[in-house]
Amino acid sequence: MHGDLLFSVSLGAGATKHTFPYLTALILLPAGAAFVVLLLPRRSRVAIRIVAMAASLGVLGIAASVLTVFRAGDGGYQMVSAQPWIAPLGVSWDIGVDGISLFLVVLSALLFPITLAYASERTNLKAFTVWVLILETGCLGSFLSLDLLFFFLFFETTLVPVYFLIGGWGHEGRGYAATKFFLYTFAASAMMLVGIIALVFIHQSQTGVTTFDIRALEQTRLSGTASVLLFLSFTVAFVVKAPVFPFHTWSPDAYREAPLAGTVILASIMAKLGTYGIVRFDLGLFPHAVVMLAPLLLTLGVIGIIYGGIVAAVQHDLKRLVAYSSLAHMGFIVIGAFALTGESVSGAVLEMVNHGLYTAALFILIAMIYRRRGTFSIPRLSGLQHSAPVMAGAFTVVMLASIGVPGLNGFVGEFLILSGTFLTHRWWAVVATAGVIVAAVYLLWAYQQVFHGKEAPRDNEPAFPEMKVREGLVLAPLIVLIVVLGIYPKPVLDRISPSVDALVNHVVAVAHPKIPLNGRPLHVQLSVKEHVTK
Amino acid sequence: MIHAAFLIPALPLAGFAILLLCGRRLGNPLAGWIATGFVGASFVVTIIVFAALFARSPDTRSFTQYLFTWFSVDRMNVGVGLLIDPLSMTMAAFVTGVSALIHLYSIGYMEHDERYSKFFVYMNLFVFAMLMLVLANNFLVAFFGWEGVGVVSYFLIAFWFGRPAAASAGKKAMIYNRIGDAGFLVALFLIFEKTGSLTYSVVFAHLSSVGRANLIAIALLLFLGACGKSAQIPLFPWLADAMEGPTPVSALIHAATMVTAGVYLMCRINPILHLVPDAAHTIAWVGAATAFVAATAACAQRDIKKVLAYSTVSQLGFMFLAAGCGAYVAAIFLMLTHAFYKALLFLGAGSVIHAMDDEQDIKKMGALRALMPITAITCLVGWFSIAGVPPFSGFWSKGDVLMNAWSVAPALWGIGAVTAFLTAYYMGRQYYLVFMGTPRWSSAKEHGDVAMKAVDHGSSLHPKDARKVMTVPLVVLAVLSGLAGFLDLPFHPDFVFLERWLSPVVGANLAHHSFSLAATWAFSLVDAAVALVGVGIAALVWKSAVDRKAIEPRFLYFAWFVDWTYDHAIARPSKVLASFAATVVEMKMIDGAVNGIAAAFRNTGTKLRRVQSGYVRNYALGVLGGAVLVIAYVVFRARG
Amino acid sequence: MTGISVLGTRLYGAGGLVLPHVNYTTILPELIVLGGMLFMLGISAMRVRSFSTQFYAVLTASIATAALVSSLYLWRDIERHGPFTAIAHSIDIDGFAVFFLVLVAVILIVSSFVAAGYLRRENIGGCEYYALALISGSGAMLMASANDLILIFLSLEILSIPLYVMAGFDQRREASSEAAMKYFVLGAFSSAIFVYGIALTYGATGSTNLADIAAFLAKNDIVSNGVLLGGLGLMLVGFSFKVAAVPFHMWTPDVYQGAPSPATGFMGAMAKAGGFAALLRVFVSSFPALRDDWQPIVWVLAALTLLVGALLALVQRDMKRMLAYSSINHAGFIFLGLQAVTARGVAGSLYYLFVYALLVIASFAIVDVIGGKGDSTHDLASYRGLYQRQPVLAVVFAVVLLAQAGIPFTTGFFAKFYVIEASVDAHSYALAVIAMASAAIATFFYLRVVFLMFGVQSANAAVPRHARDEFAGLSPSVGALDPVLTLTGADGGTNVALSISNWTKLALFLCVAPTVVFGIWAEPIVSFAQHASLLF
Repeated sequence: MHGDLLFSVSLGAGATKHTFPYLTALILLPAGAAFVVLLLPRRSRVAIRIVAMAASLGVLGIAASVLTVFRAGDGGYQMVSAQPWIAPLGVSWDIGVDGISLFLVVLSALLFPITLAYASERTNLKAFTVWVLILETGCLGSFLSLDLLFFFLFFETTLVPVYFLIGGWGHEGRGYAATKFFLYTFAASAMMLVGIIALVFIHQSQTGVTTFDIRALEQTRLSGTASVLLFLSFTVAFVVKAPVFPFHTWSPDAYREAPLAGTVILASIMAKLGTYGIVRFDLGLFPHAVVMLAPLLLTLGVIGIIYGGIVAAVQHDLKRLVAYSSLAHMGFIVIGAFALTGESVSGAVLEMVNHGLYTAALFILIAMIYRRRGTFSIPRLSGLQHSAPVMAGAFTVVMLASIGVPGLNGFVGEFLILSGTFLTHRWWAVVATAGVIVAAVYLLWAYQQVFHGKEAPRDNEPAFPEMKVREGLVLAPLIVLIVVLGIYPKPVLDRISPSVDALVNHVVAVAHPKIPLNGRPLHVQLSVKEHVTK
Repeated sequence: MIHAAFLIPALPLAGFAILLLCGRRLGNPLAGWIATGFVGASFVVTIIVFAALFARSPDTRSFTQYLFTWFSVDRMNVGVGLLIDPLSMTMAAFVTGVSALIHLYSIGYMEHDERYSKFFVYMNLFVFAMLMLVLANNFLVAFFGWEGVGVVSYFLIAFWFGRPAAASAGKKAMIYNRIGDAGFLVALFLIFEKTGSLTYSVVFAHLSSVGRANLIAIALLLFLGACGKSAQIPLFPWLADAMEGPTPVSALIHAATMVTAGVYLMCRINPILHLVPDAAHTIAWVGAATAFVAATAACAQRDIKKVLAYSTVSQLGFMFLAAGCGAYVAAIFLMLTHAFYKALLFLGAGSVIHAMDDEQDIKKMGALRALMPITAITCLVGWFSIAGVPPFSGFWSKGDVLMNAWSVAPALWGIGAVTAFLTAYYMGRQYYLVFMGTPRWSSAKEHGDVAMKAVDHGSSLHPKDARKVMTVPLVVLAVLSGLAGFLDLPFHPDFVFLERWLSPVVGANLAHHSFSLAATWAFSLVDAAVALVGVGIAALVWKSAVDRKAIEPRFLYFAWFVDWTYDHAIARPSKVLASFAATVVEMKMIDGAVNGIAAAFRNTGTKLRRVQSGYVRNYALGVLGGAVLVIAYVVFRARG
Repeated sequence: MTGISVLGTRLYGAGGLVLPHVNYTTILPELIVLGGMLFMLGISAMRVRSFSTQFYAVLTASIATAALVSSLYLWRDIERHGPFTAIAHSIDIDGFAVFFLVLVAVILIVSSFVAAGYLRRENIGGCEYYALALISGSGAMLMASANDLILIFLSLEILSIPLYVMAGFDQRREASSEAAMKYFVLGAFSSAIFVYGIALTYGATGSTNLADIAAFLAKNDIVSNGVLLGGLGLMLVGFSFKVAAVPFHMWTPDVYQGAPSPATGFMGAMAKAGGFAALLRVFVSSFPALRDDWQPIVWVLAALTLLVGALLALVQRDMKRMLAYSSINHAGFIFLGLQAVTARGVAGSLYYLFVYALLVIASFAIVDVIGGKGDSTHDLASYRGLYQRQPVLAVVFAVVLLAQAGIPFTTGFFAKFYVIEASVDAHSYALAVIAMASAAIATFFYLRVVFLMFGVQSANAAVPRHARDEFAGLSPSVGALDPVLTLTGADGGTNVALSISNWTKLALFLCVAPTVVFGIWAEPIVSFAQHASLLF
């Protein structure tokens, strides 16, 4: 294959050919770095760290430039780079970015260097680094693929590294957790392959073209049943990955037992593979089924919000607590996605990014505590704020973001989701709002236990050390973003919402949802139409 | 000049930022002075803007300073803007003013605290949030401030987080507030759905299209939010616990400013309340009930701050009573005067607590008048004001409220009057137990912890007035609570300054009662009588006595057992429910199913394994069996 | 015997014996292989002191390469003039056949190198092993191009008998002899059934030539098809035995375990290649008319094979047995292609076979290495911490296993993808779903081994919770998650440095390189397989 072809990136209408292939580079850089690390001797830790860090920072840099090149207000895919891969199967290296994937890509690019910077794995550093880098390629690839098969390839590729990260560098229960994670998610996504192929054939029978290009497949006309079945084969994979109640039980174990890097990437990025899949593929490919099954998914989402909160309230392990709170937040994202209003879906996409930020920060802070006290157990900690006020402050900010206090990033997403959902599914939104209370209960309880009260005097244990500068630097970008996105999310939303509106518009146009809009005409439709005509 | 409005919140924010970054280095007392300076400056700016607004003609006294777009998705378009109108400026003025005084006081009060600068960081942040809440031009920015003050109050209540009680109290306050906030949020969703906007002006312009039922829902949901923030039935228990915070915090947040946010919100949405009188009257009744319940509770408290806390709840009840009756001016009037005398009383209490070495039990005080004259006198003014003794401010503001209550329903007036009497009584009780009678604190010194504290201090107890930074605010507030009544005098239309000032905002929707001058005088006399009776009885009962079990029943001491009820009816059951969900539902049912499937696979494998005996004959049998099955199928398929 | 006479009657045309014109070029690959075999025997007989095994390995490889080249010539002819039959239509030279010729040649080449390492370690001299391999290879080749049931039967025997011997090649281990015995007895049994099938088919259609049969079935619709179906059924049973489909699979684990590892690899690749070649040709090219009748049987066979293979592999503690069951699972996937009865399906099966052949040879080559002298240590535990001892080998094995699991960016993924695609295309969704489910299970037990090899002590490890880890392995990999064991050398695995002969390395390279390369650059083989299936 011709290199220049591979590197020909079309920036959409009236854009120049043969510019730098940002997206291709994004995906291939970590893979290349992983290869380089493989060649390095196992002893030379420094070299390994440097290569990994350089690569992930390089990815971050490219992601940043993508951010600058990206044209706001354009709902379509940008920087599309298509290159036939397996012509006979109609599979092609077809990548592009739009408002929905843009910030998830940036989020991934940001979190990987951070986790690498704070990861403390000593044993078998080489293998660890390789897995993390492969994982980065997998995540970025999944977010950027416009080709269903490629998406699936990357989607599956991510499982293996995580399996080994948990199993190899995890905590005491890691064997169980790794196995459970792998089997559960793999079995769930296995069915998606059947669904993908079936969809492709249906499309082929209608157009005579064999292709996995989602932009083409979106035009496939599906009968009600076919739509529902395919939707299910896809959605099972996504709801397990996210996770959505009741398919979540792998996540507390996996989050709990995984090493820091694994947990952060699992919770902040890979969970988004699921929700991203829901927004991108479920909504894009199966509008009929989405409209038909929206109540079901909304109900699961709402249950997840309440149930996750309730169960989190009685956890005695910090990581498990955050795992359940993630379940609740995933619930918000799901109802946002299936409420099918511009506000709610945009909110859901924004919330994906927000959740990624504060969850990562929370897990890093928990890891800091673990390194000092060697435990995640809430009852065994207390009064840390006396000796580590700065850490306590950081924890407070992140916690408040997660609770959804306005002024921090968590609020905007949740508010958009709920207010949008209220338009089409009033009572679901009302119940979900109660989740706001629950979130406050368990997080404040945990905070009080860990940071407030007397600092438990421990024999042969030194006073709790305050956050170090290096740790502060690792955390700073996240905290800054948490605050900035809380106060001024406009630039982000301006890029998200055109794509979302196009998507919602597509769903509405195809499925004509008879959503009970509280007796008013299809508000969604109107609003989107306005936006598009603009 | 009016364009300087953005400075009003910006200055405390700047103070917050500076202290956050280098508060420790600035240290004690510089950090405190800086904080006070920024708030003071903010007050000055407020006055300037106030004047600029005053200079305008009444009908143009509304100005929006648009800062930036928060977020904009489809129809959800939220901007951050400051609404400068008489109502918001009145609020801003007294918020910044009182805050400045309390900051000043805190410089002295917190001087021995090792987290001195952190305290002022929070205080400045609070002032910023409160001002955003007051000045917001739309519901969502108001909600931002609303949540902001809630969070800061959480920080400040739990300021001494080493004490489990303080930590729990902070958490409790936050959670009660969140319950209210849920209502607030749903109200916002409804408003947005029906009017497509959250900006006050737009929303109020489209109320006609909303529909009565929705309006009632909106009003009551917002009131639920207000209940959380302003400690009304059913969400009031948190305020008493909130007294765990440092006294200046109680004065600023839990008496003067934050807790009145709910009342402000009710006044802000007066166009809505005006359209749905039923909802409004519900609010009035809830307010009246709260006022009465809290007042009774205040009669039986031993903790000097708890008395004031319940008194605050009760006074807030009065304000909601007013707002519910459509007497928004009265509500604001009472809010102003209350801010003065309640802040005064709290600061006075703070001085006493300081002097008594952190003793808060009024039964262990007494006879401090001679030792702390300034405190005693100022507190006396505070007492008379809140009691409604003419001509102190409380007399006028409470009178205004009660008159409006009568015009809606005499029963409301009745409850109000009784409550007013109780108010005069329990404040009197406190005043006598603290300042008059015989000193019980010397004997209290043997009492373990106090004695120990004394030792810590290296000296035994010598109660005396505090330093200037603490007394000056007392005096200023005393003067204000003495005179603030003249802002709004009922007897002649020319004297109702406040009402005229606020009319651009609330005038259209104000409940208009037409009492003759005689009637007005009558009301005033009754009020005065009620107040004086209360004062008198208090004097009679508590002049010499210390304990009167009969009139301090546990039922009232525990505030009608509301807290206890919530704990047993809600908190504990939900704990049980939660642990059930976590253990049975989660582990046994959901996860059990997952592992069950896995186990099933494994077991099937193990069972199948048994077939592999290793004997050729069995294998041959297997082949044969398979062949037979195939043939059987074939026979079954075969035609003819 | 009957079969031969039948052939005879066909050869006697209108009076007088008319020997068919024999176009030797069409069976050139087979001739090369057999001739080479004879040559090898000859020179080894002439020498007093036998040549070294390496010599024979190279010789075998070069013979196979020659066959490969010649079959590529055939490919050219086909592309020029399209497929054609020869030797009284008993040989059918088409893309399908050539594909298998190539595949068999490749198997011969690779496996000969694997054997070289083994034979030298166990110092079993002589050329017999290679001779047997070549004979069986020629049988497989003949099977691929055979167009006559008789010929298929003959080639099936030519393919099988040497395998029986190879299974028992290591006389010192009685497990080996036992395996041979079992294999032989059951093989004979199944052959008998197979012949029955042929007889019945002949009785029903009056011919053993596939083309004639197809034509016959196309022309006239049989009123009572019982006999024909019976014949089909029995033939299916025979084939199923060869390719180890459930419930005709039971010999597999014992034989795979008993036979010398390289022989196992060879057997796994060759028997499946030959078996499926004939199976596909017979059923897809001559009995598509009766698909409604035999498709359900295949459906059931496929489903059983997929599930039983996966489930049983899950609970194995012996690597060779585990791989045996995994190969059964693979057979199930190949069945998907047959069950679809479409060109796409055949192409899928072909592709799968190619991928599988290389992978199975590679896996058993590594098993052989780990097994060490005496081919003894095959407990999963002996793979623990392999990465620490033999990083490269561990990585290679990991790739092989992951490929078998069908992890993306290996040929293994496309193999699975392809057959799944075929059966979805044929609307047998249920079967596709079953296949994916079994794939999920299979993936787990492959990964378990990989995990054993890389099992590192966790930086955060505290006391291992065996109760939980027990689940992790679903059997012995418990230890892999046990830091203590991994730290101390006492982790079951032999810590003596393993000796890997360069021949094995070469073989591994030949297997693994394409697995990865074509996993990323998938186009060529895919289109080759498609091409071949189109050229029936």
